[in-house]
Amino acid sequence: MTSWVDASCIIIVFLSLIILSNYRVAAMIRVFVIQSFVLGLLPFFMHASCISGRDVTISLVTIILKAALVPYILFWAIRHVSMRSEIKPIIGFGASVIFGAMVIACAFWVSLSLKLPGQPFSDLILPCSLSTVLLGFMIMVTRTRAVTQVLGYLILENGIFLFAISLSDVMPVLIEIGILLDIFVAVFIMAIVVNHINEEFEKAGETF
Amino acid sequence: MLTILILTPFLSALGVLLPVRKVFRLKLFLAVCLAHSLMVASFWSRLPASEYHGFLVLDSLGLILLSIISFLFLSVSFFMVGYFPREPGRNRVFVTCLLLLLSTMTLVAVSYHFGLLWVAIEATTLFSAPLISFHRTRQSLQATWRYLLICSVGIALALLGTFFLGLAAHDVHTLLLPALLKGASLLSVNWMKLSIIFFIVGYGCKMGLAPTHSWKPEAYGEAPGMVGVIMAGALTQCSFLALLRIAQICNKTGLTGFYSSILIVSGVLSLIVPALFILGERNIKRAFAYSSIEHMGILVLGLGLGPVGLFGALFHMINNALAKVIMFLTAGSVAQKYGSCSADEVKGVIHVYPLTGVFLIAALLAGTGVFPFATFHSELLILNASIISRHYLLAAIGVICLAVMFIGIGKIVLDVIHGQPKKPLLLPKENLFMNVAIAVAIVLLMSIGLWMPSALEKLLHNAVALIGAV
Repeated sequence: MTSWVDASCIIIVFLSLIILSNYRVAAMIRVFVIQSFVLGLLPFFMHASCISGRDVTISLVTIILKAALVPYILFWAIRHVSMRSEIKPIIGFGASVIFGAMVIACAFWVSLSLKLPGQPFSDLILPCSLSTVLLGFMIMVTRTRAVTQVLGYLILENGIFLFAISLSDVMPVLIEIGILLDIFVAVFIMAIVVNHINEEFEKAGETF
Repeated sequence: MLTILILTPFLSALGVLLPVRKVFRLKLFLAVCLAHSLMVASFWSRLPASEYHGFLVLDSLGLILLSIISFLFLSVSFFMVGYFPREPGRNRVFVTCLLLLLSTMTLVAVSYHFGLLWVAIEATTLFSAPLISFHRTRQSLQATWRYLLICSVGIALALLGTFFLGLAAHDVHTLLLPALLKGASLLSVNWMKLSIIFFIVGYGCKMGLAPTHSWKPEAYGEAPGMVGVIMAGALTQCSFLALLRIAQICNKTGLTGFYSSILIVSGVLSLIVPALFILGERNIKRAFAYSSIEHMGILVLGLGLGPVGLFGALFHMINNALAKVIMFLTAGSVAQKYGSCSADEVKGVIHVYPLTGVFLIAALLAGTGVFPFATFHSELLILNASIISRHYLLAAIGVICLAVMFIGIGKIVLDVIHGQPKKPLLLPKENLFMNVAIAVAIVLLMSIGLWMPSALEKLLHNAVALIGAV
C-alpha cells in the first residue's frame, strides 16, 4: 500500500497549497476538511496488512475531531464574525503560490539530508510533512484575518500529525488522543476569543 | 495519591461551573488550594509511589515545581477572597480556569512521558488564555489573541521536537524518561540535536525567552495581578521543567556542550532585551513583565553553566516564584485601588496607602535581587558559575543588565510611590486578606535569604544529582 501512502502525502501538500491560494474563507475550511479526512485515512493505508485497534481509534478520533468538529466551530465563528473573504493579505495570492512552491522545494531539499531510522513507510512522509508545516506557517504570517490564522495553525498541526502517524511505537494511543483533544480545545478557545474581539471591534465600527 | 492530586481541582472546576454564589466559588477555590498544598507538604517527608506504569512519577525536580505551584495558588486564592468582593464582574469562568490550570500544572510536574508532558503544557496554555481577558477590554482581548497564537505555534514546534525525540529513540521504543536515560547510548545523536533545537524554541516561547517574548508585556500588562503571579511564577517555570528534563537526557548522551551553548545564547539575549526596553516603560505591570523575561533568562543561563549554575537555577525557581507573588499581587492591589497601573496616573501610594507603598518597595528589592531577599543569593550563584566556567564577558553583561533593570524598575516604582497624591476615584480601604497574602511571601523570601532550611538544601542537591550535570 506504499503507493496509497505516497498519494495521500502528495494530496495533503497540494491541499495546503490550494488553501494558501484561496481567498474565500468558507472554501478554505472545506479544503481543510478534505485534508484532515485524508490524514485520518492514512493509518489504514500504512498498516493495510494488519489493521489494529489502535489504527482504527486514531483514525476515528482524527476524523471526528479534525474533519467534523473543528470545521463546525470554524463555520460557527465565521457566521458570527460575518466574514466571507480574506482581504488585504500581506503577500498577494499569486506571489504566495510561488513562495509556497519554493517552500516545498526547500522542504524536499532539507529532508534529503535527514535519514529516518528503521524502515520508513514511505520516503515522502518527511518532506511532505515539513512542507505542510511550513505552508501552514506561511498562511499564519501572511494572512491578516483571525480565522485564516487559525486555519494556518491547523494546517501546521496537520503537518506535524502526518509526521507523527509514521511513529506508531513511541506514543501510547491515549496520549495521541490527548494531543488531538488539546488541538480541538485550542480551536474552541480561539473561536471564542475571535468572537469576543469581534464584538469589541463592532462597537467601534471596525473589522478584525 | 498523584491521581487524587490532579483530579481534585479538575472535579471542583466542574462544580464551580454550576450556577452558585460568587462567594461560594472563592471559598471552594481556597479550600481546594489548601487541600492541595497540604498534600504536597506531606510529600516532603515521603515521595508518593509512581502511578500508571511509570507515567506519573514525582521526583525531587517535580517536587520543587509542585511546591511552587501549590504555594502560588494558595496565596492567590487567599488574595482573591479580599479582591473579588470589590470587583463588579462575574467570576465563573475565571475560577474555573484557575482550577483547571492547577490540575494541569500538577500534571506537568508529575508527568514522566514526553508526550504527556506536552499535552499537559499545551493544556496550561489553553486554560490560562481566558484569564488574561478577564476585564474584556479591547487591549486585553488583543493580548489574549497574541498570547494564544504565539504560544500555540511555539508549543506546536515543541510537539515536533517531541516527535523528533521519538525518532531519535527509535530503538528504545518509548518516550518514558527512565527508559530514555537507560537506553541513552541507543539514541540517534543527529535527531537528538534537531529535537533539542525544536524543544528550546518551543518551550522557550512558552517561557518567554528573548526572541519570542513579545506576548509577555502585553499579557501581563492586561491581566489581573493574580494571573500575572500564576503565569510568571508557575506557568513559565512549568516549561522550564521540560527544559530540565531534556538536560537530563543531554547529560547522558554527551550533548551537554551543544545544549549549554544554545541555552547560554538565549539566556544572554533574554537578559539584554528587557534591559533595552525597561527604561521607557510607564506601566508597573509591564515593567514587572520585563523583569520576568529577565528572570527566565537567568534560569536558562544557570542551566547552561554546569552544576553550580544548575543549583543556582533551581534555587532561583523558588525565589523567582516568591518574588513574582510579591510583585504582581502588589501591582494588582494598586491597580484595583487606582483603577490603573500607569505611573502617570498612580501617584503618592505611600501617602494614601502606606502599607501598599512598603510592599511596592519590597517588590522592587525582591524583583531586582537585593539582599536580604533570596533572589540575591541565586543570582549571585549563577554569576559565580559563569566566572567559574570562565565566561567573564557573560558575567559582565549579566551585572550590567541587572543594574539597568534595577534602575528601570526602581524609577517607575519610586515614581508611583512618591509624587503628589492625586485623589483616586475609588478610595477603597486596605484589605486584610490581600495584605496577608503579600506579607507572607515577603517574609518567606527574606527568611530563605537569611537562612536556608536543611530540607530545602537537601532537596536542591537531590535535584542537581538527578539531572546529573557534569
